[in-house]
Amino acid sequence: MNRLKSAVLQAITLLLVGLIVSFAHNSYSVNGINPFREVAEVPVLTEPEFDGTDGIRIIDLGGLEKAFAEGALLIDARTKTEYKEGHIPGAFLIDYYELGRYLKELLPTLDPARRTIVYCYGPDCEDAELLARELYMLGFTDLHVYRGGYEDWVDSGRTIEGGLDQ
Amino acid sequence: MSSEATGSSISTQKVSHPVRAPWYFNDYLVLALRLVLAAVFIYAALQKIGRPLAFADEIRMYRILDIGPLLYIMAIALPWIELFCGLSLLTGLLMRGSALIFFVLNAVFLVAVLIRTAGIMGEEGIGFMSVYFDCGCGFGATHAWKKLLEDSAFFLFSLVILLKPDYRFVLNKSRRSP
Repeated sequence: MNRLKSAVLQAITLLLVGLIVSFAHNSYSVNGINPFREVAEVPVLTEPEFDGTDGIRIIDLGGLEKAFAEGALLIDARTKTEYKEGHIPGAFLIDYYELGRYLKELLPTLDPARRTIVYCYGPDCEDAELLARELYMLGFTDLHVYRGGYEDWVDSGRTIEGGLDQ
Repeated sequence: MSSEATGSSISTQKVSHPVRAPWYFNDYLVLALRLVLAAVFIYAALQKIGRPLAFADEIRMYRILDIGPLLYIMAIALPWIELFCGLSLLTGLLMRGSALIFFVLNAVFLVAVLIRTAGIMGEEGIGFMSVYFDCGCGFGATHAWKKLLEDSAFFLFSLVILLKPDYRFVLNKSRRSP
């Protein structure tokens, strides 16, 4: 019984130490998150043209090329390694899972009113949409997700850019 | 002491033989179990510390803890708790407590992996042995059966450490327990 009591007390001590240190680290880390953050419920719209309605629009390859030619900002939401192996020419890297670090460096240089297109690996990955939601919460208004992603771009036979480090 | 109290007759003496501990409480075996658990959990913790958003997404895949802030609190704190418990097993400080935490954690992991495996089998119409996914444990994708075996082993390891009456090879000066 004594042993059980001791185990419980020690476990509580370890849990408390873990909680305090983790939250202290989280508050200093650039990738720290607010545990009470609310993820925006952003409507996902299938109409590719921006008509002033709030939401994230889904675009295809043709829409991506048109928007990019018109000066849209293209963001790759995959990891740095994947980005370095190859990405759509002209895309900036914002690794969704290291959002804090990338936004700290990139955000001041970005214009939230500019048309912004986000993509990740392919139609099955959710990171582009998740990143678009984060950007929506930061005030980006004209957001698009290229759902076909990098996979669709490569499959279409288009050229890729690689070896660049953003 | 009892022989003095009961007089000179040898036949009435009570000789107390030490009770032989079961084989699984062998000091060297328990040390090995501690080292294995410590290595696995410290490595796993280091893969997750500082990436709370990614870890939250991995936990979300289990669809059992998507309750607002709880998910994020877990994503922030769990890797650090694993790290401290791993260090505790390594050093022997607060070891019974870390064994209890690992015991409970591995039980929860087992149930969570079982639920997710059943979910994937239902959704994809595949057999148990074919289920392959990233468990979010810090070791990448693996077969569900391997993960279940691993979690069961860790569950037993922590139970043995938790129940062992006396610890050796610990940093505490008094090598007594608790």
